[in-house]
Amino acid sequence: MSTSLLELEAVNSFYGDSHILFDVSLTVGRNEVVALLGRNGAGKTTTLRSIMGLVTPRSGSIRLDGRAIAGLPPFEIARLGLQLVPEERAIFGQLTVEENLRLAALTAPNAWSLDRIYEFFPRLRERRRSGGRQLSGGEQQMLAIARALIRDAQVILLDEPFEGLAPLIVRDLVRVSRDLAAQGRTILVVEQNVVAALSFADRVYVLNNGHIAWEGTPAALRGDPALMKAHLGV
Amino acid sequence: MPSTALLLSQAFNGLALGTLLALVASGLTIILGTLGVLNFAHGALFMLGAYAMYVVMAHTGSWLLGLLAGGVFMLVVGVALERLLVRLFYQRPHEDQILVTFGAGIVIVEAVRAYFGGNTKSVPTPPWGQGIVRLGFLFYPTYRLELIGIVAAVLFALYLLLYRTSIGLVVRAGIEDARMVGVLGINVRRAFLAVFALGVLAAGVAGMLYAPIVSVQPDMGGSFLVEAFVVIVIGGLGSYPGAVVGGLIAGEIISLTSAFNTAYSEVMLFAVMALLLVLRPQGLFGSEGRV
Amino acid sequence: MKLGRLAPEAVLAAVLIAAPFLLVHVGFSYDLLERILDWGLIGLGFDLLFGVAGMLSFGQAAFYGTGGFVAAWLLVGHHLASVWLALAVGTLAAGLVGLGVGALAVRRIGIYFTMITLAFCEMGFFLENSPLAAYTGGENGLPGVPVPQLGPWRLTSGLPIYWLLAVLFLAGFVLARRIRHSPFGAVLAAIKGNAARAGQAGHSVPDYKLAVFVIAALYAGLAGGLLGVIQSYMPPDAFALDTSGQLVVQTIIGGVGTLIGPMVGAAVWLWLRDNLQMIPHVGALWKLILGLIFVVLVVALKRGIAGELRYLLTRRRRAAAEAGVPEDSADGAPMPLAAPDLPLRAPLVATRADAPALRALGVSKFYGGLHAVEDVSFQVRSGAIHAVIGPNGAGKSTLFKMLSEEIAPTSGRVELFGRPITGLGVTRATQLGIGKSNQLNQLFLDLSVSENIRLAALARARGRFRADLWRAADSIPAVERQVALATATVGLAHRAQVPVHVLPYGEKRRLEIGIALATGANVLLLDEPLAGMSPAERVATRALVREIARGRTVLIVEHDMDAIFELAERITVLYEGRLLAEGTPDEIQRNQAVQAAYLGGLHEHEPA
Repeated sequence: MSTSLLELEAVNSFYGDSHILFDVSLTVGRNEVVALLGRNGAGKTTTLRSIMGLVTPRSGSIRLDGRAIAGLPPFEIARLGLQLVPEERAIFGQLTVEENLRLAALTAPNAWSLDRIYEFFPRLRERRRSGGRQLSGGEQQMLAIARALIRDAQVILLDEPFEGLAPLIVRDLVRVSRDLAAQGRTILVVEQNVVAALSFADRVYVLNNGHIAWEGTPAALRGDPALMKAHLGV
Repeated sequence: MPSTALLLSQAFNGLALGTLLALVASGLTIILGTLGVLNFAHGALFMLGAYAMYVVMAHTGSWLLGLLAGGVFMLVVGVALERLLVRLFYQRPHEDQILVTFGAGIVIVEAVRAYFGGNTKSVPTPPWGQGIVRLGFLFYPTYRLELIGIVAAVLFALYLLLYRTSIGLVVRAGIEDARMVGVLGINVRRAFLAVFALGVLAAGVAGMLYAPIVSVQPDMGGSFLVEAFVVIVIGGLGSYPGAVVGGLIAGEIISLTSAFNTAYSEVMLFAVMALLLVLRPQGLFGSEGRV
Repeated sequence: MKLGRLAPEAVLAAVLIAAPFLLVHVGFSYDLLERILDWGLIGLGFDLLFGVAGMLSFGQAAFYGTGGFVAAWLLVGHHLASVWLALAVGTLAAGLVGLGVGALAVRRIGIYFTMITLAFCEMGFFLENSPLAAYTGGENGLPGVPVPQLGPWRLTSGLPIYWLLAVLFLAGFVLARRIRHSPFGAVLAAIKGNAARAGQAGHSVPDYKLAVFVIAALYAGLAGGLLGVIQSYMPPDAFALDTSGQLVVQTIIGGVGTLIGPMVGAAVWLWLRDNLQMIPHVGALWKLILGLIFVVLVVALKRGIAGELRYLLTRRRRAAAEAGVPEDSADGAPMPLAAPDLPLRAPLVATRADAPALRALGVSKFYGGLHAVEDVSFQVRSGAIHAVIGPNGAGKSTLFKMLSEEIAPTSGRVELFGRPITGLGVTRATQLGIGKSNQLNQLFLDLSVSENIRLAALARARGRFRADLWRAADSIPAVERQVALATATVGLAHRAQVPVHVLPYGEKRRLEIGIALATGANVLLLDEPLAGMSPAERVATRALVREIARGRTVLIVEHDMDAIFELAERITVLYEGRLLAEGTPDEIQRNQAVQAAYLGGLHEHEPA
């Protein structure tokens, strides 16, 4: 691991008055792919939302490249080169694919050209005039990732990118994620599909009931069925 | 049965009234769709636009200057209103939003009354709009005819702004999911400010354009506000095409009904709205579940 | 206690008696006092509608005008000789119009509701003005409305009419206050707080809204009739939009939700208008100043004059109620589990001995192309604790909402004790004995703990709708027993009088269960009851679930697997909307497909 690009220290987050994250600390190094695993309701999504500024932590610090970002509004955090791809994908259904992309690119200083995005996702070129609502689940997920990419985001937070997608499309998206990593992007991915997530992560955190319960390599996790069962399985 | 000529001229009147309602309602619907705020001060802002035109015309006699200066003035009013008041209410219940904009409307109306007095002001028709045009077998006041064209142009400009520019892109995306717009690096609050000011401008411009053909007095906005509500209920809350089409429909209902029986013109408008509420509550262009 | 409850009525009566003798010296003429009380009378109904039930109407002028013009037309046209009868007919006419407008308006909420009332108000104005001008006098109104005769006395203008208004206002206030404190009023307050939960607890929300809308229209109609009598003239501007607007402003300035507030606001408004209009330069400004005050009150969430007074008077009682509530239920706060045997209300459904408590038959829910739940069938044995588990997006919450009838299945059906409940809607289903505690708390935050629980108990005792306006909400012995037991069962007896918004999260979570329990449900659905709880609270709540399950059927969704394996006798596993497996905890733990589903391993055969 090189220097850590994203760093959470003792973060406590709440929804209303429900305490979700308890002293969560984690680091993501530059060019690293880190998977955040855990059961439903463990606090994975809240962790990502806290980083993006959609949930303001009550205590603890979040640093991006050394700069404290906890408490900043989401748009300022996005302009620092960090991008959340939310679980529900949040595609603008009334806008076309191309409009979704142009919107994302508006405030990015080093925005990619549409052509470059379409080279990455040829399928989106074919669908560029389609309304967001007409896309299939897999296409929506591609578009959601493409919106992060066109902003040239350095750190991408992927929230359950494979949820509800057919195996073939999951395989495609795993390939895309690997390409992103190979290009030097930093990725923090939350996933229930442990097998898929472990296939491209460098390092793994396991969350349990809002606490970081385990940290290690994919190989170590795979090699420990008891651990998998205790924190992830049934 | 009224004569064809009467029906035709009423249809034209309906078009003039309809475009006016479309413009007022489009301002209302943009604000409602994007910010979720039903702006009860909209009628007062329409009135304010008419007074802005009155003041500039009285001092300079220039219609164009009135439109420009009035436009700038309305933008300033819109920005101030959003910054000082409306912004505090995005997270509050709809009822509070209605109350505060209603109160702002009272303050604006009473401030104008305190300054200008309560009697009617007359705004002259610009020189190029005076006289009467002969359209086939029907005579029609020139300014009203020109107005239909001018408002159509304004509505088209609004369309271009909403559908062909990046501001419009942000607005349309904001209507769907303002939070995600923020996640994509866009300052939503500033976009909200722009939307509110734009909506206020639309009301103000409508007031300026119609100042020469309506009686300008502090309470003139009230009935337009209610009619604009009816328009957006017909067209579908938050829908720009709905506001335009709904405005034209409303204008024609009022005008054509009065060709048969003047007494029922307004009543018919509300009856149509009631019918629509029963048969298609989301309005013509609204989507289910937005309400 | 009884005396304390009547104190506001006594104070009001004293003020009404003293007013004509004292206030005349500070610019309140008899005529002004009469008009204030007239506005106050519309305001009583409007405050029940807006202050208590939360429905902001800009349409009260329509009912005010209807009542006024019907009464005036009957009298001026000599269709009726008795003023009293004319007032009664006018009031009823306003109520009927209210019923019609309300039927269209109350099914819509927020912005839509307000716009519809406003539009009908304007429609009334135009109807009065032209098509009905032959009856209403159009823009001229109806002059020559006679004064009423009471036995040997003619109630002429001046003091006699004042006494009439004072008596009617006092009577209106007593009734409005009884309504607010009745079970009916308790449901209205709940609708304001959280309409969805009020419906989920078994109250028919649209019926209550329509009823209070009609009550407000009746008040306005009576006030309208009296307006003609006071002035011996019925003015057309009773129908004007400004009348509705002025009522709203007066209510906010006087204090919303206090019943007396609109009258106080009217006193301020009308006094300023009558007394400042004569002063040059200031005359035109009073409305501007009131407008500014109105805006400030709304912005700063202030309570208005009467509201501020009430706040000051009840400060001590409030502080006492909130004392001792911890900021945060830190770990280790043990739950005082009294665990009495909450008596089950006799099930309302005909229980067949062999019928399962709950049965899903091929239920599916499609959203467009998304198959949230697809063809799921399973049954729950009567008296069992049965769990539904599955990874995110498996469709558990959607399934629960279909079981409780909050959403209708695309296909398939649900049976409760052998009786089909699909299509009944959540309110009727609750009345048949199925209750649900929600994944996210759905509480009435401004009400106390016992008021929250009472609301649910009232639904079971009173059915979907009942207009019991006169008795007190807490005067039904069976309901109070149910409230006390349910409150104690979820360990909140020591918090009974505390407003819910100050409770720590864990206690709110238990209250969520308590409300479901108090509906008297035979089948209880618990959607993630442990979510967000600390480890100590989890232990206590597991014990609570076990306690509740004695004598009741419990179906539970939960992510805490330890809790599930400890509690459930059977487990149903969903995966991507379909039924993946069902069995005992042991069978589920050994099931390979379930293991794979949780680890995403169904994709393992794919070269990832």
